[in-house]
Amino acid sequence: MAGQSTLPVAKTGNNPFLRFVAALSTLAGWASAGMIVAAVALTCQMIFVRFVLNGSTVWQTECVIYLMVAATLIGLPYVQRLRGHVNVDLIPLSLAPRLRFGLCMVTLSLSIAIVAVMLYYGYEYWHFAWDRGWRSDTVWGVRLWIPYLAIPIGFGLLLLQLIADLVAVLLRIETPFGLEDS
Amino acid sequence: MDPLLLGAIVAIATIIVLFSGVSVALGLLIVSAGFLIIFDGMRSLELMPEILFGKLDNFALLSIPMFIIMGASIASTRAGADLYEALERWLTRVPGGLVVSNLGACALFAAMSGSSPATCAAIGKMGIPEMRKRGYPDGVAAGSIAAGGTLGILIPPSITMIVYGIATETSIGRLFLAGVFPGLMLVGLFMAWSLYSTWRSGNADVLSSGSYTWAQKFEILPRVLPFIGIIIGVLYAMYGGVATPSETAAVGALLCLLIAMVIYRLWNPVDLWVVLRDSTKESVMILFIIAAAGVFSYMLSSLFITQSIAAWIGELDVNRWVLMGAVNVFLIIAGFFLPPVAVILMAAPILLPIITSAGFDPIWFAVVLTINMEIGLISPPVGLNLYVINGIAPDISLKTILKGSLPFVACMIVAIILLCIFPGIATWLPNAVMG
Repeated sequence: MAGQSTLPVAKTGNNPFLRFVAALSTLAGWASAGMIVAAVALTCQMIFVRFVLNGSTVWQTECVIYLMVAATLIGLPYVQRLRGHVNVDLIPLSLAPRLRFGLCMVTLSLSIAIVAVMLYYGYEYWHFAWDRGWRSDTVWGVRLWIPYLAIPIGFGLLLLQLIADLVAVLLRIETPFGLEDS
Repeated sequence: MDPLLLGAIVAIATIIVLFSGVSVALGLLIVSAGFLIIFDGMRSLELMPEILFGKLDNFALLSIPMFIIMGASIASTRAGADLYEALERWLTRVPGGLVVSNLGACALFAAMSGSSPATCAAIGKMGIPEMRKRGYPDGVAAGSIAAGGTLGILIPPSITMIVYGIATETSIGRLFLAGVFPGLMLVGLFMAWSLYSTWRSGNADVLSSGSYTWAQKFEILPRVLPFIGIIIGVLYAMYGGVATPSETAAVGALLCLLIAMVIYRLWNPVDLWVVLRDSTKESVMILFIIAAAGVFSYMLSSLFITQSIAAWIGELDVNRWVLMGAVNVFLIIAGFFLPPVAVILMAAPILLPIITSAGFDPIWFAVVLTINMEIGLISPPVGLNLYVINGIAPDISLKTILKGSLPFVACMIVAIILLCIFPGIATWLPNAVMG
């Protein structure tokens, strides 16, 4: 929610791997925020060109869309680090600590597995676009490997952040689901 | 396997996965991948990144982060408090002016921010202590703000409506307009209940507020008018055919950020980063659910589940109002546990064919669905707004907040019934403006 200066963040302790992943995710977050700002600026520029200068715009709409897609995918690890991906924690809350730990292992492993699948096929899809020189069927005709690159990068970094989360729970640096024992 | 039975299995699997505590978006991807592997083989997974990317490859989605930035920049300032004060000063002669101005401020702030928890926090921080100081019952003070906050997803511009529009390919412009009168009707119902319960509690004397001079009344206007101006400007640009919702949202976001910087002196880079960080976090979360729900609905239709459910309901030959009642019960229950965006994205592709084949207007249904989601925001166990109120007024027990909110849930159910009897409350304005 807006207006808060403190947020729950994945704990890293003094573990160098966790700190490295946290730094990577934060960097990805800055990149994502930067792309959103660029999308705002570009959209305003587009409106200015169209309505004030009475000109026509060629590449802006498509570019803004790809910026948004990239901001979403590359922002994934950062939002994971900020615990921003909503979940339903009713069952985890009602479980005893040991069971909660077990469930956390299951959910994190499943998350890691699905993100690994997305990374694998995402990379394959990007590689197709790169290999075959795909271009978008618009006037701009952008080389599609550029926007598609966000899929392997985003899911690759998300995979790292999820593995870091798993490691943090295993090393007892972080509690399962980030819930306090009570 | 019979697609209907398969549909039931998918529903149960989805509930189990989502309740396990995994994030909603990844949960949807896990369920989709699981069923695609079982029924279409491993190779069907190679389509998932393409579908996910394709779902995000949509200019209309731009309006989501833009409206979120607009809301976050307003919420990071004292605009909520100023709006509240302005209304209180101007509505001082209205009986129960304080609770009326609180609800009015909620409605206006909701229009500016598009977010329910942000509205609750911004107005509640000032409104709840003030109402309690003046002797309003705790339940009314907390309940009115919790309920007023929910208007954020109904009164335009609303993120929930944008998501519905994208999920169902319905005009976002029409959806926004459809939310206006039902939103005002809800405000009216909330005000009526607040005044009645305050009067009944024997605190009728608090219903008259203090008095303000004209100088005090005008002094506060320069701080609130620019934001209201932007909202009017955004709506004009959209309906005057000047620009698309995404484009107007981008300009609105830029202007709100500039006003926050100029009028509220939000120059500090750290404060600006907080606005941007919170906007990024919320946008990415919502957009990822949208993308994952796209994969989920691809799985449903590639296994013929969506089509079979629609055909099955069509053959059931039940009364359309019984059907609508069942849909409402389903939505309320789903809303108890899941955020509105997730409910809409999962349920809309399945429900929309059923609703339209039963002769209901999809625009009207969006309003009914949104009010159902509002109920979820002030009902346990998830009830986000209840916890926001608990955060800003920790000395009011969650039980009192909940008890205070229940009558407002009743108001929302009354609103849904009124909308069923008089669908024109939602459909008249979009039809009148957009033909």
